[in-house]
Amino acid sequence: MPNAPSQSPDAAPTAAPHRTVHLTVNGIAHEIEVETRRTLLDALRADLHLTGAKPGCGMGDCGACTVLIEGEAVYSCLTLAVACEGRAITTIEGLSSSDGELDPVQSAFIAHDALQCGFCTPGQVLAMKALLARNPHPSDDEIARAMSGNLCRCGAYPKILAAGRALAGHPS
Amino acid sequence: MPVRIITTHLEFEGRVSEQRVVMEGDEPPVWGEDAELRIVGKPTPRVDGRERVTGGATYTYDIQLPGQLTAAALRSPHAHARVTRVDASRAEAMPGVRAVLHRFNAGDLIDPNRDRSVFAEELPYAGAIVALVLADTREQAADACAAVMVEYETLPFVVDPEAALQPEAPRVLSDRPHNKLNDEYPQTYQRGDVDAGIREAEVTVEARFETPAAMHNSMETHGATAQWDGRTLTIYSSTQDIFGVRRAVAKALGLHQNQVRAIKQYMGGGFGSKFGPHESGLLAAYAAHRLGRPVQYMLSREDENVAAGHRSATIQHFRLGAQRDGTLTAIEQRTVGNLGALAGWFPATAMATKELYQCANVRTIDEGARTNLGPFAAFRAPGVVEGIAAMETAVDQLAAALGMDPLELRLKNYAERHQDMQRPYARKLLREAYEIGAERIGWATRDAEARRYPKGRDGTLRRGVGMASQLWGGDGGPPAQAQAKLLPDGTAVIITGTQDIGTGTRTVLAQIAAEELGLPLEAVRVELGDTEFGLYSPPSGGSMTLASMGPAVRMAAAEARKDALEIVGHLVEAPADALDIRDGGIVNRETGREMGTLGSYLEQLDGHEVTAKGMRGPNAENVTVRTFGAQFAEVEVDLGTGQVRVRRIVAVHDCGRIVNPLTFSSQIEGGIIQGLGFALMEQRVVDQRFGTVMNANLEQFHIPTIRDVPEIDIVLLDRPNTYANTLGALGAGEPPIIPTPGAIANAVAHAIGRPVSGLPLTPDRILDLLK
Amino acid sequence: MQPFDHVSATSAAAAVELLQQGGPSGARVIAGGTDLISLMRDRIQSPRLLVNILPAAAALRYLRFEADGALRVGALATLADIERDPHIAARLPILTQAVRDAATPQLRAMATAAGNLMQRPRCWYYRGEFPCWLKGGDECFARDGENKYHAIFGASPCVAVHPSDLAPVLVALDAELTIAGPGGSARTLPVERFFAPPTDDERIEYRLQPGEVVSEIRVPAQPAGARGAYVKVMDRQAWAFALVSVAAQLSERDGVVERARLALGGVANVPWRVAAVEDLLTGQRLTPALAAQAAERALENAHPLTHNGYKVPMARAAIRRALLAAAGQEE
Ligand SMILES: Cc1cc2nc3c(=O)[nH]c(=O)nc-3n(C[C@H](O)[C@H](O)[C@H](O)COP(=O)(O)OP(=O)(O)OC[C@H]3O[C@@H](n4cnc5c(N)ncnc54)[C@H](O)[C@@H]3O)c2cc1C
Ligand code: SF4
Ligand code: FES
Ligand code: FES
Repeated sequence: MPNAPSQSPDAAPTAAPHRTVHLTVNGIAHEIEVETRRTLLDALRADLHLTGAKPGCGMGDCGACTVLIEGEAVYSCLTLAVACEGRAITTIEGLSSSDGELDPVQSAFIAHDALQCGFCTPGQVLAMKALLARNPHPSDDEIARAMSGNLCRCGAYPKILAAGRALAGHPS
Repeated sequence: MPVRIITTHLEFEGRVSEQRVVMEGDEPPVWGEDAELRIVGKPTPRVDGRERVTGGATYTYDIQLPGQLTAAALRSPHAHARVTRVDASRAEAMPGVRAVLHRFNAGDLIDPNRDRSVFAEELPYAGAIVALVLADTREQAADACAAVMVEYETLPFVVDPEAALQPEAPRVLSDRPHNKLNDEYPQTYQRGDVDAGIREAEVTVEARFETPAAMHNSMETHGATAQWDGRTLTIYSSTQDIFGVRRAVAKALGLHQNQVRAIKQYMGGGFGSKFGPHESGLLAAYAAHRLGRPVQYMLSREDENVAAGHRSATIQHFRLGAQRDGTLTAIEQRTVGNLGALAGWFPATAMATKELYQCANVRTIDEGARTNLGPFAAFRAPGVVEGIAAMETAVDQLAAALGMDPLELRLKNYAERHQDMQRPYARKLLREAYEIGAERIGWATRDAEARRYPKGRDGTLRRGVGMASQLWGGDGGPPAQAQAKLLPDGTAVIITGTQDIGTGTRTVLAQIAAEELGLPLEAVRVELGDTEFGLYSPPSGGSMTLASMGPAVRMAAAEARKDALEIVGHLVEAPADALDIRDGGIVNRETGREMGTLGSYLEQLDGHEVTAKGMRGPNAENVTVRTFGAQFAEVEVDLGTGQVRVRRIVAVHDCGRIVNPLTFSSQIEGGIIQGLGFALMEQRVVDQRFGTVMNANLEQFHIPTIRDVPEIDIVLLDRPNTYANTLGALGAGEPPIIPTPGAIANAVAHAIGRPVSGLPLTPDRILDLLK
Repeated sequence: MQPFDHVSATSAAAAVELLQQGGPSGARVIAGGTDLISLMRDRIQSPRLLVNILPAAAALRYLRFEADGALRVGALATLADIERDPHIAARLPILTQAVRDAATPQLRAMATAAGNLMQRPRCWYYRGEFPCWLKGGDECFARDGENKYHAIFGASPCVAVHPSDLAPVLVALDAELTIAGPGGSARTLPVERFFAPPTDDERIEYRLQPGEVVSEIRVPAQPAGARGAYVKVMDRQAWAFALVSVAAQLSERDGVVERARLALGGVANVPWRVAAVEDLLTGQRLTPALAAQAAERALENAHPLTHNGYKVPMARAAIRRALLAAAGQEE
């Protein structure tokens, strides 16, 4: 590294600004007090203890942090919690019904073995959910395009496609 | 139970070691071809699928203990430096900051696996740790990191492996006399006389082949959460090896092993990079022990990619000699491995070179170079992937020089026996894999005009078909233990200390236990991932887990079943061997009479639990057990833009009995997709002027997306290998990644009509090759 | 990420107002945040005040075709809005093509059209810890360093490339921006002129005055029979910035090119319009030979760096294909 990164004192903030934010997560209204710089991902995990959305990169490069905001799949690592004031958020924890019945997307992932280590899986399931809500019978190409924002290092992709095809009603 | 001690041999990632096995009792007889199995061999969805799709699975990253602190690291920006001063006073005074650990207050933390201080004075690569901040929140930890002031004395460095081996090169580690891996390098293996073999050859080929450093990028980074309660240090670790974590953490903290409990229930991938606690686990444990507060330290993606390992880069030179008819007369491989600063071993790049083809004259030379880069770590068949890619492309070049079909050349030099150890293979189905694969890919028409020159893109598309071979161990070995408990209601708990790293271990072990016990799958529960209650299990890696743990579980189940039938026999006053357990019920073997459920008998025992132990027996002696296989690839190359698209992969691997075809095919697909990434896109980029990794992220270090996936055609051979172990099953973790890059490279060479010089086959490399 | 204050604006005017309160460099608009948050996380930018403009969606998130055929894109329309709009797909498919392979579905759902034009370079020295020229330092580390993804055109001290897929297409479509400024002022500016290579005084790829906010992108009506194509070359099939991209927009009459626009992405620190080729094409019949000649001409003045020579043949192929596709001569 050329002349070491400037270690110019970062004028250390004494009191970081906070805000009260109202979020409806999985149908439950929450009021949380967060730093303005807290991401939605950290708010869900650290403040609401919903750890289903995973940190994989923090930069929009992996998709593990995918959640639904008003039904639309987004990366919670690049979303500020304060920017979600009043929004309805769905995480993986909110997908199965309260009596434990799995969402069809979840069941299809299990049946087709569309997961290995499972770390990317919550994000994959939610991305699939968002696709099917918009387009209940996607083509193979549409499935692959919709799922192209979620990396899986284990390579569960062929099985994810298979799960998607089954959900879309294609013959296997 | 009398104890016997048997000496056996174990191969792990290409390295053979002697192992002592303690046996109490006997393993059940092997499940042969004619074994009638109800559950083993059936496609079975994961028994823990539900947790994984609902967010209920708790990964290391998800552990949240009361009062838990978050850690963030400050790392060296210099390729080589000495830390002379750390001023953390400002950071320590910041809100929420509980401690800042560094060389001058935590120099006593020694990494037992490296025998080196974690906060070392000498920082041998950009990304070496300098300080660890512990704070209440992640934001506070990051703020404090930026406020730690460090003074460095920079030192000369070298990152190019060939330059590092020059006598005048700067020392990568200043206390070493050279930059070689150790005094035993370069290491040469020799059989016959290679120079004579080259002289007598009628055709020779020389090829240089480079393979990149590829980062693992498991979706969950390395890390751990640790807690010290004054008596026990509990560490939740994202690891493939909980017993290795326990051992190293106990040693580092000066605790007894019974004071350390390592837990791993779910982990987000490892691929070989997560053996032992790693620096992150040691740090979490140390900080928790010292501060008396739970500590979580998970690496950032960037830190993961510079400091937690990668597949080491190679530069390989091959010389092949053959007679006109294709008979090989010489094989020589010289490999320079770029091992980074803190390496301890050399990957098995020469494994296949020594073994795959029949040849009297073979020489391999491994040159291990230390460089001022982060440490490499095992990555799914380390060395073998790189070695096979280089050798198989050289073999194709030889075929071209001979004017011979590449597959015919391989068959001409088919090795029936293990040439190095001079003994037979327990089984080698490679010839069959070649035949099946060739048929499925349409090898015979690979040169057909219509196939090679598809329409579109103003005539700039070219297709090619190529193949490569695979060999690997995968028969597992001892020690590996398990316990089976039958509960009063007739259900079973299998207790192990293994890890399910995403391969489906929990599911296959449940299948094996249910099969042996005669219970339905739902009646069996498998416990793993906890050193406190589990029995010793080997690390989950090297395609070892199923072949090591499966037999132990099977033996435990068999013993428990025997005991249970003994008990039932007493209760019904019948000889035990007249009884059987089928689908949870007791039946009379001869009459087939159903006699009620197993539970209905066990519950008469006032809470007694039938428990039994099982262990993996010794490996077969005097034969070599291998998985063999082949893959065939069809690719399309755009000569205009240099883009390569893999259209189809046919994979034929002999991994013995397939316990679960569903998770087996997932393993194969996953390996192929990682191999495809290695072939086409994965490459660490280092600025040579500064020794800095430029793409230690997932933005510019590309791994395959779902859209990069080709059609994958998996042929299941599914035949028990009765030498391997009592299941007849071999591991499938490594085999599928091994031939993929070579097959793709050969297909690309076929498409563009010229040899390729290395990986990855990115558009710029293709366009350069076409120049 | 450094701490900051966060306020919401419900209109472009309100945003302008709030920006002024934050002072000249300390305040920034945040829209989707997809670029700004990652820059802030890495402390490349550390604004003291963020003005969240998303609450102005009611006023600024729209896609509208005017009677004359012009398309108005509200600043807060997302890339996903554009991608899913059936009218755009039918009438300006080049725009659909531009966003279809940009980033990922999640990012497209978050990323706004205006924000896309103001995203900063992906140069790894800039995004890393290097005190490079663009960040106010003295030296461009890429010029003699790892420059495989860098520029082959341009004379700026910075050799980073513009990462946007939308920008070259908007340039090829002669689009204009509407920019709201202090005191209720508004100005319009061709997208092409909005971009300017960074200079010693202004180390940024676009020109916006302090306190200004982009409120609309307007794509004028294209001549009857105009057609376009966008070709993006990536090193994996998705989720990659363009190695090279080409936006070609042609109007033909009786098989003869009347007007041509050609803009390249991934080759310079602004979308790179190639006027010489536009002239060459005008008045001619577009044949494969002419497309090849145009591609040749477009790259004539390219001056690749040490590791990006491949971009020259790659751009040639992409230009040829884009032109033929725009002329409907794709195979
Ligand atoms: C992993 C990744 C991959 C990507 N791949 C691609 C790709 O392939 N192709 C591509 O084109 N893009 C790509 N992008 C970039 C992405 O499209 C842009 O980041 C996005 O469009 C920016 O829009 P935003 O609304 O999120 O902007 P923000 O991040 O909110 O803002 C970006 C900048 O614009 C300013 N700004 C925003 N709106 C206004 C306004 N109305 N007036 C004045 N200033 C404003 C902000 O102050 C800030 O400086 C990628 C991004 C990521 C993270
Ligand atoms: S190309 Fe531009 S951004 Fe990159 S190092 Fe040079 S000046 Fe900085
Ligand atoms: S953590 Fe959000 S995309 Fe990776
Ligand atoms: S299942 Fe492991 S990353 Fe997708």
